[in-house]
Amino acid sequence: MILDLHAHSIKSDDGRAKVENYCQWIRRKELPIDGFVLTEHRLFDFDSDYQPLADEFDLCILKGSEVETDYGHVLVFGVSQELMDALDFTSIRLPLARVLEETERHDAIAVPCHPGRTRVGMCAHVEERGIVPGVRIIELYNGGSRGREDAAAHLLAEENGYQGIGGSDAHIVSHIGRCATRFPGPVDGEASLVEALRSLDFEAVTWK
Amino acid sequence: MSEKSFSDVEFGEDLPTFEPDTSLANVTKFAMAAKMFNNRFTDHEAARKQGLPGAIVPGIMSQAILVAMVHRWASNATLEKIDTIFRAPVLVDMPHAVSGVVTDMDEEEQRIEIDLTLENAEGETRVLGTATVRLS
Repeated sequence: MILDLHAHSIKSDDGRAKVENYCQWIRRKELPIDGFVLTEHRLFDFDSDYQPLADEFDLCILKGSEVETDYGHVLVFGVSQELMDALDFTSIRLPLARVLEETERHDAIAVPCHPGRTRVGMCAHVEERGIVPGVRIIELYNGGSRGREDAAAHLLAEENGYQGIGGSDAHIVSHIGRCATRFPGPVDGEASLVEALRSLDFEAVTWK
Repeated sequence: MSEKSFSDVEFGEDLPTFEPDTSLANVTKFAMAAKMFNNRFTDHEAARKQGLPGAIVPGIMSQAILVAMVHRWASNATLEKIDTIFRAPVLVDMPHAVSGVVTDMDEEEQRIEIDLTLENAEGETRVLGTATVRLS
């Protein structure tokens, strides 16, 4: 099963894509993905129910979040109200160590994204202040990152033994599915996604 | 350039790609007309002294290039909104390409949304945006 693990809809302040249009696009362009995860900036969208769209287009549509930490942006999968009570998702400088600790405690998982990008990625912070224990996975392929930024992510992963995911980081419709993550088995919900990520049995793929 | 009606358009349709003129001469002409006198737009050396890799295309010119894309495709399009995200500088005298694709069609309102992307020769997105247009 192939999922784009990093996408934004109009629920994000800089997202311009409607979820329905993502679905239409995937089917019209016959993209080789089975679904996507909406990782809205600094929030978790408890309100939207995308199941009718998922059924109509036969796609898996899951929800996560992208939070901001002292080591750059981080995708969080398996978000619950309890996790949101423990972490202020609206903060733009959450300590990464705390995000890792709280996600672990609340059956979620944290994945630093676009690590090769300046300021909002992890690489530069690691160079300055060293690694943060507890990171197991980073985003290896990001649809919005430039070649050398993805290369920096690969180097970081190699040096530290991190597993890698792929995500388009789509903010507009036509960017969905540029990068994704291939899982050997089915993923049918947020809990199942966390379990699949924790198994470390997946691979990042790109069509950039 | 040709006129189009709503019924001529399909979801997922690609707009014809074009290479905008980002030469120093053309960018200088734009900057002067727009009264943008900062020499980071008109002088490579001056731009480098400001820490840039070379002279850059003004943001409003990049936005105008995206709008031009829409009107090259449908000369009768009324632009209701253009929403632009500047990801990285557009460098003067470097080749770029603009692409566009129809990503939403509202039949009731007769509105069309178009994703627009300005990329450099390496395929890196420098500027992207969405346009909302109406075809009369």
